[in-house]
Amino acid sequence: MQPEPARGRPGHNISMWGAPGSGKTTLLAALFIALARRNDDWKIIGSDPASSDYLIEKTNALSRGKVFPEASMTLERYHWTLIGPAPRRSGFWGRKAKPGPPTRIGISMIDAPGGLFGTGRRPAGAPSGVAAAADGAGDPRRQELLDNLEQSRGIVFLFDPIREFTLGDAFDHMHAPLTRLAERMLAAGEFLDGKLPHHIAVCVTKFDDPRVLETAEKRRLLTTDIDDPHGVPRVTSEDAKELFRELCQVSASGNADMVLNALDQFFHADRIRFFATSSIGFYIDRRTKMFDWDDFQNMLPGEADEDSRIRGQLHPINVVEPMLWLGQRLAAIRPATEVS
Amino acid sequence: MPEPDGDLNRKAVAQALASLGDTGHLSLVEVAADGVTAFRIHRDANGCPRGRSWSATWTDLAGERGWDADPDGIREAVLRAARVSPPTAEVILAAASPGGPRAEQALDWLRAAHPGAQVLRAGAPIAALVREVMVDDPLTRSYELVVMLADPGTDRLRLTSRRLFPIGARPGARTRVAVRCEPGGAYGTAFAVVTWQGPEPRLLSVQSAPIPPGRYEVTAELVRPGRVRFTGLPELSPDPRDWDRLVAALPDRLPGGTGPAHLVCAVEVCGTDDLVAERLSRARQVINRSAGELGGPLRVSLVAYAAHSYDGSAREFPVRAMTWQADAGEALDALGELEEQGAIARGYPYHPHAAQLEDMLALVVRRLDWDDPTPVVLLTVGGRSPHPPRTDLSGVLPCPHRHDWRRPLAALEQRPGTVLGAICDQAGDRAHPAWHRLGAAALAHLEAVDVHGLAADLGLVAPSPGHLPFPLLDETE
Repeated sequence: MQPEPARGRPGHNISMWGAPGSGKTTLLAALFIALARRNDDWKIIGSDPASSDYLIEKTNALSRGKVFPEASMTLERYHWTLIGPAPRRSGFWGRKAKPGPPTRIGISMIDAPGGLFGTGRRPAGAPSGVAAAADGAGDPRRQELLDNLEQSRGIVFLFDPIREFTLGDAFDHMHAPLTRLAERMLAAGEFLDGKLPHHIAVCVTKFDDPRVLETAEKRRLLTTDIDDPHGVPRVTSEDAKELFRELCQVSASGNADMVLNALDQFFHADRIRFFATSSIGFYIDRRTKMFDWDDFQNMLPGEADEDSRIRGQLHPINVVEPMLWLGQRLAAIRPATEVS
Repeated sequence: MPEPDGDLNRKAVAQALASLGDTGHLSLVEVAADGVTAFRIHRDANGCPRGRSWSATWTDLAGERGWDADPDGIREAVLRAARVSPPTAEVILAAASPGGPRAEQALDWLRAAHPGAQVLRAGAPIAALVREVMVDDPLTRSYELVVMLADPGTDRLRLTSRRLFPIGARPGARTRVAVRCEPGGAYGTAFAVVTWQGPEPRLLSVQSAPIPPGRYEVTAELVRPGRVRFTGLPELSPDPRDWDRLVAALPDRLPGGTGPAHLVCAVEVCGTDDLVAERLSRARQVINRSAGELGGPLRVSLVAYAAHSYDGSAREFPVRAMTWQADAGEALDALGELEEQGAIARGYPYHPHAAQLEDMLALVVRRLDWDDPTPVVLLTVGGRSPHPPRTDLSGVLPCPHRHDWRRPLAALEQRPGTVLGAICDQAGDRAHPAWHRLGAAALAHLEAVDVHGLAADLGLVAPSPGHLPFPLLDETE
């Protein structure tokens, strides 16, 4: 269930969804840093003490300790509120406009240990006596995940192309919950036009990896924002779908193209948007402060018993944008409410 | 019909022999007053003419029944005695004078059977003429002496051949060749003559003798096709070894210490303490062994390299020449300092999978004296891969100095007198390709190093056994 914050309840809820290890935790931690680097009034705040602690801990780990947040070993539920600047209401007869209530977008992440979203294998951490159904439908934790998806109208779906290249399990982790979600929405009468009512931001992660960047470059999908002082290459949302399709070609299982088909089958075309994202961004030399094609890797592999580390400053790419896009689209459907 | 002139007959037989190819035969049938003599000549694998002859008297051919009893049978016997086969063979018929009616009859039968045959009139038995023509046959392939050449920088040996007689050379031709002989083992030094037909040499003759080491002016004389006599040496004897046995005795390089050398020992000093200690220990063993056995003075340079730091606030351990062209004792002292220091962990977070291999190579190339002809041995002891000059798909971060390991390595590979050896702690199939090039002359695994063998492969100590089966070509003239 979406908790209610102490003084305000978000009108829109976004769920984070993706295969284990696809970078959900890192993305959340990077979101805080990315917002801090923006010159607007957007901020992310925990909706309960546990979620605040989690956000502080993971953000500190990412920015100071320079280690990637540890993958979830147990089921964890977190809720935050993304609070943006208040939309201005027009004044009557030239009177000074009054500020409206701040925009609030609820973000829920149910950080699941590996396998919880997968196929019928017993989830990691589950009691050995618990037999999972073919798609885990009987598992109460899956029920909770589905509750969360059902109650939100915005989904951030993370697609890790490197994981897909080595494991190729993105479709496995998408198909079962998507089918169950459709089943619920149909029963609730919200599948009337044959599509889910959700908006979905598909984030192609690890854009900073040389293999992903090279793919984008070969397809001539790269562009540079003229306002970007670092000259970092990006892929626009319009071209991100082609990058996604191109990366599907090298899926280890060959099933990645079915992810694209499933998105088209279950979501309205105008409610899907693709983003080429990187939670850590490219390495930017402190002296030149410019992106360098000869030296842009920001991830330093760890020793055998250590996790990878982040080499330089974090410069998240397209981490805020999916949230704001979802927030804006959801706000257009149902305005945010304010609890005074 | 030619005149019965000896010179004309010699010329005719010589021309027929000269036009004899590698696979054909020349049949020469002499019909005389007492019977038939057949000569069949071919060329062997070295192009030398080889011949056989068969003789039969008229009595042998006619048998007890007499010449007139069975003319057809005698005719068949005469044709068989001519031994003309295969049918494509060139045929020369020689009628000795005086002949007689039986000889004339036999000649008619042979002419009818071989209408394309030349017919010569001979005043004397033709066997001597055939032998003379075969001995005087000009060479159809060049004859070459098998020699060894030593690379002036590394003393690495390679097998080659020096031409003694060109195609067309005749008996009596002489050639001088300057060689150097080293101890040659049980058979002594082999003077092997080969011909070439395609890429493989064909052994023509091998003569050998124990020859005192030294320089020799040898004169080779072509006695006849297939026979070369060497003078200016102790007397040579036929050597029973075939080509494979001769080549199997070849060493990689000149035996014995061959003079001064400059050993550059580059050691990777990052990783676990045990691994670094093992690498330093191996370097010490090679320096000790080389200093003890090298014939000439050994100069040693000791270079230490570690991992790059990718944290601007943590200075890395830079590639360092601990000694440069020092004597072995000084290098061993510097090695002791590294052993006391242990593994370098400074510059955290350093890269865990790569090291400053490219920086080390750049330093070595920069510090070497490129005009100094002293042989250089670069021995690299480590295991990590080099950093690429720019971001690539390997996942290894680029060298902060943008050094490209391929450039200095290629320069070292092309530098005359430079030998590359490596002791790598990665298995061959897991080691970065750079290590295979760094260990081009000798690549050993850290856990199993035959120190003497490695040093021998690098030319730092004498290989064993120290024998040279062939003479060395002396190019000092």
